[in-house]
Amino acid sequence: MSGYKRVSGDAIEYEVFARKTRVEPLHQVGSVVAPDADLAMAYARATYDEERWCEMAIVRKEDVIHLWSPGQA
Amino acid sequence: MSLPDLVLSLADNKQMLGLRYAEWATRAPSLEADIAAAAMGLDDLGHSRVLYGCLEPLGADPRGTERESDAASLRNLPYFDEPWTEWSQFVAANAILDTAFTVMIEACVTGSVEVLQHRLRKMLMEERYHFLHGRSWLRSGIETGPLNRAWQEAIEWFGPPDGDTARLHREGKLSMGPAELRGRLEEQMETKAPQTEVDWKQWDAVRRRGRKGAIDAHTFGMLRGLEEKKYAPPTAAKQAAT
Repeated sequence: MSGYKRVSGDAIEYEVFARKTRVEPLHQVGSVVAPDADLAMAYARATYDEERWCEMAIVRKEDVIHLWSPGQA
Repeated sequence: MSLPDLVLSLADNKQMLGLRYAEWATRAPSLEADIAAAAMGLDDLGHSRVLYGCLEPLGADPRGTERESDAASLRNLPYFDEPWTEWSQFVAANAILDTAFTVMIEACVTGSVEVLQHRLRKMLMEERYHFLHGRSWLRSGIETGPLNRAWQEAIEWFGPPDGDTARLHREGKLSMGPAELRGRLEEQMETKAPQTEVDWKQWDAVRRRGRKGAIDAHTFGMLRGLEEKKYAPPTAAKQAAT
């Protein structure tokens, strides 16, 4: 998750996670900006559906709890 | 009107919806909305291909040669006749008309016709994201003009209370008739349709629309491949002639 921030107004940044097979863990494939979860789901699917994911999920970036960040470890 | 006629109308409308979505792939309010417009356009163009492919297995392909030369022979709704100039037109089509087509696909998938049950099911999964997109943008608020027009045309497209859709429902080929389709659309949109009056005597049962007209010449040319030819490199024969 980069430090770049492009959210303004009521928009919320969501991180997008996906995996191709059940045996691999979910990993971050990108992010989308949307005012609500419905639109974020539609955007995530439209933006990152090029590959045959078996699972895709989104998480509000602000809900991620950081234990530490780059330069703090 | 037969089931293939209805499927052809659905295919033509999906094709036009896909093209109109795609026109907004670089004009939507955000980068994400651009990408969504392009993706939904591709989805609906793909859906139209599948629907055209259902016509032969259904036993009758109503497409005639007039479709090559007469834009008014295509069975799209008036909403798609001209490119949209406002984002609110996009949102109203995405929320109301796209969902109306999905509701009809549901009626086909849960009806008694096997080829439609099998081939159209995957569309419902893809359409879920079109619905989320349209509903969310609708909640942000748009002008009532395009919204009321989309509702009006959706209800017209479902057909009259005693028309072909009602008969196909009675025969079990569709799991919903016009009243049920409208009710399902209202349920999905979590609102009642605005007051609409349809003059069914003026309604064109083939094109499922109450207003005359046709898609613009540029779009029709593109559908026929004529626009591509304008940009194609000259052939060896043409080069030899010059």
